[in-house]
Amino acid sequence: MWKWGKRLSILASVLLMAIIVSACNKDDASGKVKIEFFQNKPEAKGSFDKLISRFNQEHPGIEVTQVNPPEAETVLLTRVVKNDVPDIVGLGATDTYSILAQSGIFTELANTDLPHTVDPIYLKMLKDVTGADPVYGIPYAANANGVMYNKTLFKEMGLQVPKTWDELILTVQKIKAAGKIPFYFTYKDDWQTNLPFNALGPNLVGIDFFLQRRANQVTFQDKYRKVAEKQLELLKYGHGDNFGKNYADGNRAFANGQGFMYIQGSWAISEIRKANPKVELGFFPLPTGNDEQAVKLVSGIDTLLAVSESTPHKKEAEEFIAFLLKPENSKQYITEQTLFSAVKGVTQDDPSVAELLPYFKSGRVIDFADHYIPKAVQLNSIVQAFLQNGDIDAYLAKLDSEWNKVANRR
Amino acid sequence: MNKRLTAFYWMTMPAVLLFFIFLTLPALQGFYYSLTNWNGFGHQYHFVGFKNYVNLFQDDNVGNAYWFTFKFAIVVTIAINVLSLLIALGLNAKIRFRNFFRGIYFLPNILSVLIVGYIFNYLFSNVFTIWGQNLGITFLSTNILGSEQLAWVGVVIVAAWQGIAFNTILYLAGLQTIPTSLYEASDLDGAGKWREFWSITFPLIAPFFTINMVLAMKNSLMVFDQIVALTNGGPGRATQSISHLIYTGGFRGGEFAYQSANSVIYFIVIAMISILQLRFLQRREMDN
Repeated sequence: MWKWGKRLSILASVLLMAIIVSACNKDDASGKVKIEFFQNKPEAKGSFDKLISRFNQEHPGIEVTQVNPPEAETVLLTRVVKNDVPDIVGLGATDTYSILAQSGIFTELANTDLPHTVDPIYLKMLKDVTGADPVYGIPYAANANGVMYNKTLFKEMGLQVPKTWDELILTVQKIKAAGKIPFYFTYKDDWQTNLPFNALGPNLVGIDFFLQRRANQVTFQDKYRKVAEKQLELLKYGHGDNFGKNYADGNRAFANGQGFMYIQGSWAISEIRKANPKVELGFFPLPTGNDEQAVKLVSGIDTLLAVSESTPHKKEAEEFIAFLLKPENSKQYITEQTLFSAVKGVTQDDPSVAELLPYFKSGRVIDFADHYIPKAVQLNSIVQAFLQNGDIDAYLAKLDSEWNKVANRR
Repeated sequence: MNKRLTAFYWMTMPAVLLFFIFLTLPALQGFYYSLTNWNGFGHQYHFVGFKNYVNLFQDDNVGNAYWFTFKFAIVVTIAINVLSLLIALGLNAKIRFRNFFRGIYFLPNILSVLIVGYIFNYLFSNVFTIWGQNLGITFLSTNILGSEQLAWVGVVIVAAWQGIAFNTILYLAGLQTIPTSLYEASDLDGAGKWREFWSITFPLIAPFFTINMVLAMKNSLMVFDQIVALTNGGPGRATQSISHLIYTGGFRGGEFAYQSANSVIYFIVIAMISILQLRFLQRREMDN
């Protein structure tokens, strides 16, 4: 017979057990220094787990644990509110990073050995994003934003990789004329709509635009018409349901040979290979203009590593970062994640991104546009709405008015 | 008598305390922050008075969100109540497998909104479109969630599909309070089914109608999970509800104080609507 008393006593004992177990966890008397490594890429969890377990073995006095919650940036912000900043934070060089760096929650790392191991171009990128000189984060891995293409399909139709905007348009027209899908667009997810924006903006207008925009010296209405026109033109060469498919749908469809090209970031490569391991991929920067030499590859810092200002274990945290930055560890990470290393001398050998390497070597890279746009502007939804209604004037006016509104509220 | 009163105090005081700590206090805090320019995590903020409120009334994104939410709430409330009343009438009749059907219709209420949302999301993009293409119906062959004009219909369908379950149960409970003798009498008087419904059934379940209208309205004014799972506010901001705007702007956009002001307004609006609805509908109950 189940009686209330019995139920209650069971409940109470369960609660008691839970308390005891959690208390045990806290008072682990191993004497190790515990460090929490918080990072925002769910794709990279497995890779970091491997590296961490090796680090913990090599450093018996330190125990690093990984935290990788969903909606990591939001979780991180709420933890900052509670003054519970993780010891080490790994995140992209986005507006969130820039806000956090400006709020002074990260340690200045300029005087350590860490910045010397990474490519200066990425350190400069971080400076540009935050608009401040101190080094609050160490770039770890970079990504690329461009056009992925299906090598098999290109070969079947005898197509060449387009180097200029006109060649690109000719190519897609040819594909379309053959009754095939030139671009597989996945614009149901609004963040997908800003990938062409991110490639076109910095190439056609430049990154300085955003620094001037912050100072209110230029407007989107002055400078971004070309960007809008070209993005709208690309939309003509999609499939029938551009706004009905999301990122996951797109990875599956592209992996299975629907669509010749896929405007995407290098982060999608591992997802696409999961759907079809045999797919032959190539990758080239989106040709934004007709001067072949002027086209730059859009590449941003996918993960940077920062140390909390308030942690009592700064030394150990730096040790862990130094470990991750070792060439062999960085190599392992970028191989598993198909990313590019920020560490000097570490190269990506994956054949799918071979065409991008010259750009990295010669420094012909430029940062994502949206890293410079305050999150509250909600660029993604503005671009998505624009592509739906195609109204360029309203779109540019909206970008300016949202930017001003957000600036005014700060 | 006194002893009983103390017992009642013992029952209510902890509840009042908990209510105060977990609801009233945060609400007051939210109001306090709405007068600042705090971004939600920085160490510093300043008082800006009612600047946030002034900005709020000039922000067309806020206006859009209110317009969408009200349109959505009214359509969903009507759809849910009409359909669930019909279903309840059917389930109350002496049909075969009655209990089986009752169980089936209650199922959507048990499932998590997010899971249902993601399932429908998949259906809308990868199943219905293929049906549409095969049947040659252009309307169905693209994903309606991807269209600025139609996406809200998709959200309405899912919200109604799930909301109907709970309201049906309430209507069923109401229908069972009506004594059968009334129907027997009306039968003798020669009343038709239609007349019977309007003169007996509907007036007698009026209290249930009231509570269902208020609940459905309140739930759909606070719509959030469905939006996250189906459209994430898109395309553009076409399906951004007020609570979704508060969440994205406040937590992701780093405009905590600004969206706090928005939620203060939102609270007042919902409270006003619920009070008005209750008053209006309850007066109607008494008239009958």
